Amino acid sequence: MTSPGTNRLAMGRFAPFAVLAFFALLPFWMTDQYFLHVLIITGIFIIAAISLNLLLGYTGQLSLGHVAFFGIGSYASALMSIGFDLNVFGWMLVVTPKPVWFCILCGIFVAGLAGWLIGKVSFKIRGAYFVIVTISFAEVMRLVALNWIDLTEGPMALNNIPPLTLWLPFAGETTFWSKVPNYFLVLSIAAICFEIVRRIVVSRVGRAVIALRENEPLAMSVGIDVTRYLLIITVISAAMAGAAGGLYSHYVRIIDPDVFLFIFTVTMVIMVVVGGKGTLWGPIVGGLLFGIMPEALREFAAPEVQWIIYGVAMIIVLIFLPQGIVPAVGSWLQSRRHGSEPPATPEPPGAKGAADPS
Amino acid sequence: MSQAPPRTVLEIDQLCVKFGGLVAISSMSFHVDHGEIVSLIGPNGAGKTTAFNAITGYLQPSSGEARFLDKSLNGLKPNQIAELGVVRTFQKTSLFGGNTAFENIMIALHRQGRQELFGSLLRLPNMHAEERRLRDRADEILEFFGIAARRDELASAMPYGEQRLLEVAIGLATEPEVLLLDEPASGMNPTETMSFVRMVERIREQDITILLVEHDMRMVMGVSDRVVVLNQGEIIASGPPSEIKHDPEVVRAYLGTSAPHA
Ligand SMILES: Nc1ncnc2c1ncn2[C@@H]1O[C@H](COP(=O)(O)OP(=O)(O)O)[C@@H](O)[C@H]1O
Ligand SMILES: [Mg+2]
Repeated sequence: MTSPGTNRLAMGRFAPFAVLAFFALLPFWMTDQYFLHVLIITGIFIIAAISLNLLLGYTGQLSLGHVAFFGIGSYASALMSIGFDLNVFGWMLVVTPKPVWFCILCGIFVAGLAGWLIGKVSFKIRGAYFVIVTISFAEVMRLVALNWIDLTEGPMALNNIPPLTLWLPFAGETTFWSKVPNYFLVLSIAAICFEIVRRIVVSRVGRAVIALRENEPLAMSVGIDVTRYLLIITVISAAMAGAAGGLYSHYVRIIDPDVFLFIFTVTMVIMVVVGGKGTLWGPIVGGLLFGIMPEALREFAAPEVQWIIYGVAMIIVLIFLPQGIVPAVGSWLQSRRHGSEPPATPEPPGAKGAADPS
Repeated sequence: MSQAPPRTVLEIDQLCVKFGGLVAISSMSFHVDHGEIVSLIGPNGAGKTTAFNAITGYLQPSSGEARFLDKSLNGLKPNQIAELGVVRTFQKTSLFGGNTAFENIMIALHRQGRQELFGSLLRLPNMHAEERRLRDRADEILEFFGIAARRDELASAMPYGEQRLLEVAIGLATEPEVLLLDEPASGMNPTETMSFVRMVERIREQDITILLVEHDMRMVMGVSDRVVVLNQGEIIASGPPSEIKHDPEVVRAYLGTSAPHA
């Protein structure tokens, strides 16, 4: 399935720090507010794509309703921060507005819970069944958000969602009104999610789900409880998508049922597949490409034309690089390194550490 | 070999498997004692693989059961059965093809690890110790099977004979009580088969009981303590290799279909 070289991509140990440093310095010379806005939205999508990649890339399960977890996270967090009252079978549940950081945590929790539920009902029978359950779930959530007007305002949208307020060293209590703090917030969360996935996939739990992806009967024969590990990963993945949703709510500060649109799932899948599923950098490369490209096209192409260019770009990449961009670059780098060595040494001496997928 | 009386580890009790109208196995009973190598032989379609599937939870028997140390395996999932220590390999080559030989063994060492999600996320100190222990063990196993040179090669890119060795290595990595090998030497060349026979004997020395399905009669007769002969889902003979070789029914069953290359 996924190319092996993907896991052993020659992006040395320091590449993550270099990339992080680059993006951390970016706002100091790229001060264009609109460009920062594009990067923030792209970053939020990259977090969602990282979460989808954990599921699709490493366990092999296609969640075509992944946006549901994003939407649940964004609604849960938004509602908690605005406050709401709910009539539960005659009981009045009154929730007063809570601090935004706490609301985002609640959104993460609720999204993780939803992931657990979906995993529970659909992993007895996997594969196509999981795809159908997740699509239906996302659509049901959209209809709930659209029609439960008492809670969600339906199509009128939830607005006046407060931005995050945090106590920061040196700055004291800071409210994230402007682009720069939000940019750093999204960057930090993306880095944390990247690191979470990196730690999982090199661990015993990660090996268990990779085994499931590669060969389920064999995975079971060595004693791996595949359903259990799949469920764990689904919860983590859903929670991460929920975090992206929460960030979205408190940055954009207005959400409507469109956060559950199927097209967003498609966008995430495209980002992951084009970037390289089952690789740590795939969702980041794919996310940057498909996050920034529409903006670059925007000036000289109508939305319909943009979509066509989108589609064509994706098809071209997948025809020529069926594993995605990152694995292709990885094996190109590897072949170049091998090519420069004398051909008589098939086994490079440094191959010992090759199992480390970073 | 040992002083203690033989202890039955695997007991197959009146096992029946039907596929619709087809009776693949009818009322099969035999047992495997601790430390033994028992071979299950029979012509193609006799029901050997089906027996493995029924014992290891890949399909549920229509009636009867398999027991491991007096515990019924009926209704357990394959991973639960493996957890107990009954581990099988597959007739058709079955590997984690997109992973290296080393990673294949690391996956197979699942049972030897304890690390769960939070340990890995928080990088608790014992995680590093455990990972180091597992990596050393994986290298040992590759060494044992003589495929250490392929350590970082993709399993799917290894030569066929070595893929078959890697499969057994995966089985052994789980540290089973009983290892069920389904035609492990098929497709190996004679030299590879010979060294594989020695390997099987060394596995037995590690106190692992083996139930073997194999077509190579020289290997079966050479390595087995007892042989169980299956024909069309029924046991037609069982006993030590010396008896089985001359059993008229066995000769007839074999000559009726495909002659062994012995
Ligand atoms: N999943 C299945 N569905 C239907 N028939 C099967 C299935 N598996 C095996 N069989 C049949 O059961 C019989 C025994 O097959 P098998 O156990 O594979 O034989 P062996 O391993 O001894 O060559 C054969 O007739 C085969 O066609
Ligand atoms: Mg068979």
